[in-house]
Amino acid sequence: MTPKNNIVIGIIVALVVVASYNVDANPLEFVEGLPNLAIVVEEMLLVEPKYIPTALWAMFETIQMAFIGTVVGTAIALPLSMFAARNLNSKYVYAPVRALLAAIRTFPSILWAILFVIMVGLGTFAGVLAIVMYTVGFVAKLQYEAIETIDSDPMDAVSSIGVSKWQLIRYVVIPESASHLLSQILYMFDYNVRQTSILGLVGAGGIGFYIINYIKFFEYGKAAIFMLVVLVTVLFIDWISVKIRDKYIIKSQHGMEVTTK
Amino acid sequence: MKQLQMTLNPSFSLISTNKIIQMNDVWTSYDSKNFALEGINLSIDRGTNYAIVGQSGSGKSTLLKLMNGMMIPSKGTIKIDYVTPDMNNKKFKKMMHTIGYIPQSLGLVKNITVIENILIGALPRLNKIQSLLKKFPESEIQEAKRIMSLVGLSGKEDRKAYMLSGGEKRRVAIARALMQKPTILLADEIVSELDHVTAREIMNLIADAQKRMNLTAIMVHHDIQLALEYANRVAVIKEGQKILEIGVEGDIIVDFQTGDLNTKEIMEMYSDDSKK
Repeated sequence: MTPKNNIVIGIIVALVVVASYNVDANPLEFVEGLPNLAIVVEEMLLVEPKYIPTALWAMFETIQMAFIGTVVGTAIALPLSMFAARNLNSKYVYAPVRALLAAIRTFPSILWAILFVIMVGLGTFAGVLAIVMYTVGFVAKLQYEAIETIDSDPMDAVSSIGVSKWQLIRYVVIPESASHLLSQILYMFDYNVRQTSILGLVGAGGIGFYIINYIKFFEYGKAAIFMLVVLVTVLFIDWISVKIRDKYIIKSQHGMEVTTK
Repeated sequence: MKQLQMTLNPSFSLISTNKIIQMNDVWTSYDSKNFALEGINLSIDRGTNYAIVGQSGSGKSTLLKLMNGMMIPSKGTIKIDYVTPDMNNKKFKKMMHTIGYIPQSLGLVKNITVIENILIGALPRLNKIQSLLKKFPESEIQEAKRIMSLVGLSGKEDRKAYMLSGGEKRRVAIARALMQKPTILLADEIVSELDHVTAREIMNLIADAQKRMNLTAIMVHHDIQLALEYANRVAVIKEGQKILEIGVEGDIIVDFQTGDLNTKEIMEMYSDDSKK
């Protein structure tokens, strides 16, 4: 390691220490707090199985919220991504659309949820709207990036027939970027289920509403049941996504059969 | 004797008014310093099977792109059926509907089926609703199937394009171009990566279509032998300049630039050139 590297590492460590002091992040407090964690874990182990049906129902509600949010958000994001792609539009079209999308992405979903709770009141609808906004911002970005990486050969060959821009989108851009889109929808749904699970914190419905309330009242055992359901569900959705990805996406991208184990 | 042969055959006539493509002192450059083409003059008769031969980087693909309006020359004039090729020119944009262009990479849409790829050639004839809903008229579907049997793709309608072999992909690209009901077919080295037998199958296919539909086919090749086998005329491009233009009729080869080289000399001249 060169002396220069040592200086860089020294500076980074010094910055971390100064920043920790500024934000009052004291490692000693962490060590002192460890026994509290033991109490929480102990109480969490006192799971109350009779709450499982409620937890499952709340999870089902959460999944439905994420599902609506993903579908509606994607439906709004798709046309926007067509306008935001540089290889399909002039600067005067894509620049403002990109700026709008960047603005939408600036807020995390929880802030959108607060905004919609104020607008439409407490409950799941505010959560759905928040997920829609978040999905629009992200899917549109991922999708316009996918569109920009489409092979230019079919675009050129089909353009040379003198087709309209909409025909080009319908017959080249959409089919060639569809496998990316499927992958993004799966990722987004997976992500949205996890996000929706915490929107309850601000009163926007879903399973998070139960978790935050039980934690507030120190009922860790009950909270644990709900958290466990979230964990299992997320793992399950992840597993399903991988299966779908292997079956439909990898194959179409590489043009060969993929055998899944 | 050679001169006589030229005047007897209409495609060899030097004063024909039936010129579908005319290029006059055409220069192009990708940057301001280097020219891809330097003072090209070409005059192609309607219904000719024309070949452009040259090594990589000689500017032969650029020539095709000028003919379908995807590039505009830095200097000189080009007329396709008396219209200047330019994608912003409305009259030419309409003409593009009947100019089939097959790039070297073929430009197939990988994730759609063979018949969908072919039907793309019919898109200019569809109205907005039909093309949005992918609702092709039955007559177009029948036409696509007829062309598929012509190019030997029957039964492969629903295969995805990415699943096809190299030869099959070329057949799809040709079928898409034929679906345009073209008057001109431009093909850029579409057989150079194929084995000898498949390359000839594809060339025969184009030659058949060219005769049947009275197409003007302009094909770029790497291999002069193949070009001489199929074309009525061959232009040899080297470093952006047309160094030779020969007419082929049976065993007689006529040099249109110098007029007096015999077949053997022309062949040797090019053979040396291609070995370099």
